[in-house]
Amino acid sequence: MTSIMVVDDDQDLAEMLGIVLNGVGMEVDLVSRGDEAVEVFKNSQPDLVLLDIMLPGTDGIEVCREIRKQSTRVPIVMLTAKSDTHDIVKGLEAGADDYMVKPFKPSELVARIRTRLRRVSGDTNGTLTIGDLAIDIVEHTVARGGKEIPLTRLEFDLLVALAKEPGRVFTREALLGEVWGYRHSTDTRLVNVHIQRLRAKIEHDPENPTIISTVRGVGYKAGGSGTRS
Amino acid sequence: MRRVLNLFRRSLFLKVFSLTAVISMALIYLVGSNLYGRITGGIFDEKIASAISEGRAAIQYAEYRFTIAGLNPKADYRALTEEVVKSANVSVQESGREVILLNARGVKAQSIPSVSTSNFLEPESVPEALRKKIRESSDLDWQRGELRYVNGKVIPGIFVGRTFEIPRAGKYEMYVAYDFLAQQRNIDLIGRSLWVTGFLLLALILLTASVVLRMVIRPVQVAAEIAESLTTGDLKNRMNVKGEDEIARLGVAFNQMATTLAEQIARLENLSRVQQRFVSDVSHELRTPLTTIRMASDVIHAARSNFDPTVARSAELLLSQIDKFELLLQDLLEVSRFDAEAAVLSLDRIDIANLVRRSAEDLSILAEEKGTTLRLNGFQAPVFVEADPRRIERIIRNLITNAIDHSESRPVDVTIAENESAISVGVRDYGVGLSSQYWSRVFDRFWRADPSRSRIRGGTGLGLSIAKEDANLHGGEIRVWGELGKGAHFVLTLPKKSGHRIESSTIVEIPTEVNL
Repeated sequence: MTSIMVVDDDQDLAEMLGIVLNGVGMEVDLVSRGDEAVEVFKNSQPDLVLLDIMLPGTDGIEVCREIRKQSTRVPIVMLTAKSDTHDIVKGLEAGADDYMVKPFKPSELVARIRTRLRRVSGDTNGTLTIGDLAIDIVEHTVARGGKEIPLTRLEFDLLVALAKEPGRVFTREALLGEVWGYRHSTDTRLVNVHIQRLRAKIEHDPENPTIISTVRGVGYKAGGSGTRS
Repeated sequence: MRRVLNLFRRSLFLKVFSLTAVISMALIYLVGSNLYGRITGGIFDEKIASAISEGRAAIQYAEYRFTIAGLNPKADYRALTEEVVKSANVSVQESGREVILLNARGVKAQSIPSVSTSNFLEPESVPEALRKKIRESSDLDWQRGELRYVNGKVIPGIFVGRTFEIPRAGKYEMYVAYDFLAQQRNIDLIGRSLWVTGFLLLALILLTASVVLRMVIRPVQVAAEIAESLTTGDLKNRMNVKGEDEIARLGVAFNQMATTLAEQIARLENLSRVQQRFVSDVSHELRTPLTTIRMASDVIHAARSNFDPTVARSAELLLSQIDKFELLLQDLLEVSRFDAEAAVLSLDRIDIANLVRRSAEDLSILAEEKGTTLRLNGFQAPVFVEADPRRIERIIRNLITNAIDHSESRPVDVTIAENESAISVGVRDYGVGLSSQYWSRVFDRFWRADPSRSRIRGGTGLGLSIAKEDANLHGGEIRVWGELGKGAHFVLTLPKKSGHRIESSTIVEIPTEVNL
């Protein structure tokens, strides 16, 4: 059974989230304080974390960073009451995979959680190579020269999405659909921040990316000879 | 030349300094030349007076000698003439005079030459006017002139002359000439001293002026520099105040002004921060319970088939009103962000044609419900613009939704056009329309053309107002045309580079088929 950790200081909302998620067959751990979240995470090892940004104790962004230190794999979805670019980007940079702005529809939330939990399904089997990186889709690992590079699931999905069709230019909207499961979204912040995080991990020189290049005014593609943004 | 003029215009120092220079030069020149005139006048007057009395005596003495000599009928005037003329030589040491004796009729008589001069003085030296005057009267007269010698030497001087009769020889003119050499030397000396004094005085004045100016202008310059830094937002700079004079007062007043300004700005900034905080807090405080309500009502709504009809209907109403409430809250927060000037652009290079096409696809379901169709024109090629995609999408959706709402089941035309500097998207409906007096009011918050007309779509009444703010944030604009019964035309124009000026719009909001 899928277990979800919900970190939110609003008891009623947390309970309601519990009701909704239980209703779709997910198990829920409720945590109301930021400073307890990391401890609970270590003990319960949930499949996904729903994290409010504004928390008593340690704030959500800090909690996000701490959880990322514990696990690069677990998907983190931020719940935020603020739709300001600043907070969202800070959360994404701290390691969150996605965010939901309150108020959201429960169906939306469930869909988003399922997208984050689904494994990149595979008509593509086995391994991919892009640049000097070896991607093992089954094992969910990326290695350079036999040395594994730890990526979050979302970063891995993003890399695989690009690497599956090297040379194809993906618009940000296409990536939002492919990786995040958004049908119509112009929220390019998600893509931009994650591409940057991914580059910081896999590029030799993130300032002059060669593995994921920017195609100015359009989007991104795997492989070099793009234009710098 | 222009640079010099520009420098002159911009520098108070240069202006005051050169004005001082010009005025003091004029003053020194006036005083100097007046003084020079008076002194030289005095010196010459003295010399002229002594020349006249000396000359008078010399002529009288000569007349006396000739008269005495004339008593002897056999007298030889030659020697006497020579003596009279030579007498100049004798007395040249003390008075430096020359003597000229001329026959009034220009003839030689009684062995007196018609012209005799001392020391090779040219007889033509005697001014013609003086000759005329003394020939007409027997009085002594004088005139200033030049002593010209045969060897070409010319000396300024004075001629004193009178006519007298020499017995048996007729009428003679005698002139005694004195030079002004000594006087000229004195005058030259005085002139030179005056020039030197004048220059020294001018230099002194200008030096003083520049020192004083520097003392006064330096603080003004500092004040100007600090004022400039204040306008660029650096509110920490202050003037250095020394003493209690007017300059110090300026400094104190200036510093007070800067402090007050800084305080006011800090107060306003704080106010704006408080406002932004408030908006953000309200946002958070309202959104969390709304999320819970939304989820709860969703759960209730999902289970409505188990309820009796009134409860089930209530669950439906609850959910639809929550939808509405959510939209309203969203729009209100957006509006208050604009009011707090806290709205920020998240710019990207986007294909606006694609964006409009996608929005239109999404809204085609709504259009269908209202029995209308969206007709897109010119959206095949991509049109790139630097903009915030979220906001642009919101504008487009607002304009299209608004057009569908007012279309009265007639089709809605969406067009796009671009030029070098700008892109425009036009949304034209052929429905209700609005009269020109309301053109500017459509962007007012919660404004409706006809209050009795219900909001079928359930819009918040803030859509167009937010759209306009979004457009303005990009440096763009939304213009509107409408006529009752003929529909309306909204044109969004955006600069291709955010913040740049729109040179010209590419779509005219007034339709061509409308005759004005």
